[in-house]
Amino acid sequence: MCDITKEMVYDAISTVIDPEVGFNLVEMGLIYDAIIDEKCNVHVVMTLSTQGCPLHQMITTWVKEAVERIEGVGEVEVEVVWEPAWNISMAHDNVKQALAGM
Amino acid sequence: MRAVSSDFAPPLKLISPFFSTGVVFYLLAMGALLFFSPDFAYAQMDVAGWVHLFLLGFVMMIIFGAMAQLIPVVLETGHAVVDVYYVIFPLLLVGVIGMVAGFWLAPALLPYGGLLVLVAMIIFAVENIATLKKTTIRTLTVDTVAWSNGFLLLGILTGFAIALGLSGDLSVNVGLMLKAHVYAVVGGYVVLTIIGLSLILIPMFSLAHGFDEKPIRIAFKLVVAGVGVVFFGALLGLEWLMYLGYAVNTAGILFYLWQIWLIARLTVRKELDIWAKSMLFAFGSLVLSIVLGILFFLSGKDNLLHASVWFLLMGFIASMITGHLYKIVPFLVWFERFAPLVGKKKVPMLHEMYSKEGAAMMFWFTAAGVVLGGFGLLVLSDILFKAGASFLFMGAVFLFVTMRKMLAYGRE
Repeated sequence: MCDITKEMVYDAISTVIDPEVGFNLVEMGLIYDAIIDEKCNVHVVMTLSTQGCPLHQMITTWVKEAVERIEGVGEVEVEVVWEPAWNISMAHDNVKQALAGM
Repeated sequence: MRAVSSDFAPPLKLISPFFSTGVVFYLLAMGALLFFSPDFAYAQMDVAGWVHLFLLGFVMMIIFGAMAQLIPVVLETGHAVVDVYYVIFPLLLVGVIGMVAGFWLAPALLPYGGLLVLVAMIIFAVENIATLKKTTIRTLTVDTVAWSNGFLLLGILTGFAIALGLSGDLSVNVGLMLKAHVYAVVGGYVVLTIIGLSLILIPMFSLAHGFDEKPIRIAFKLVVAGVGVVFFGALLGLEWLMYLGYAVNTAGILFYLWQIWLIARLTVRKELDIWAKSMLFAFGSLVLSIVLGILFFLSGKDNLLHASVWFLLMGFIASMITGHLYKIVPFLVWFERFAPLVGKKKVPMLHEMYSKEGAAMMFWFTAAGVVLGGFGLLVLSDILFKAGASFLFMGAVFLFVTMRKMLAYGRE
């Protein structure tokens, strides 16, 4: 039985900040899911705000390293998907307000 | 999962000389404007010298540096031989100095400078083509890289033919060859490259998503066809064919503007930072340039053509480049000096890596200079043109200083 929760994974990922916009990846709505199995292996499903992002690999590495810092975590895998494509409606309200004045 | 572009990012020390030198050439070009008057003719050697200082020393130098970084992003594969950029830089640098000195001071230097630039550009184009062969993806931007490099090769060959023609070593119609050369380089390479990169960079920085790409696909086809028609019309001396090409190109640029409008409508980031201001000014200048160009074809008045070219070069192309420098350079510096520290210590945000005040001064001085200088050309007023040149020079000083600070940020 694994006692790592999805919230713990999201909290860990929220330490990763996009240097261009200045918000963390969770606030940006870039993290779609975190699947945790009984051996505490974590599979993060995420996207990026643009497909040509030159920080693509770095960001996925930062996410992996952030989750690996959770005590007792097993293998960590990060999968980047492009469907559904990210849009601003997926971001938290503070991000929408700051970026788009929504 | 798509390929990872950051695997192939070239080191900052390879790219930064292109940017820092390009900005120095921009500063020199703006300073040199103070010695011109608005009643010039294209055939003047000093005008040709200035155009090469601006287009080769600033525009091409920055584009080459930017492409060293952006080619892996666009093609999603590493450069075929990235180290050739260490060779391209000194060749282009010495070649530009040789060409400008040739136009301004000693015509005998012109073929030598031209030869160095020719070699630099051939290496650049061949390396790009070799890198294109490595990629399996086919996007519009990839197509623009392929076509723009083809036009660049044509532009280089015609340019060298002109240099040989001027020195008496080759019997060519320099006037017609000049039109083919200008169109292949400015329309075929610079404008096509800007169109292709716009589709990547503008949505990336504005966070626009879900827009229809049909207009830019049409724009791409029309610009490729238009440049080709003008090029061969000039080589064959068929003026009617060239006019057909101008019309096709204008239609292509209008489709491009329609695409930018579609992207702008879906822009998420509303903040008017230096990049956003520069884009607004660049596209406004492009619209003005088109209007003035159409008026020139209707009236035949040279001052309208001069003002149209001015707003195209100084308003559109230069603002597109300087605006993006404030995004690309902080990213390159951050990627080199701060990315390895993420998670270990506090790292700066990209927008914290340049002086907002310095960038704002650069923008406002430059915008005022472009408008004043453009109207000086339009009404043939020396005082207005000189005032514009003075503002542009001050804008260039602020660009130079902010660029130096960006490149030095975080250096130990």
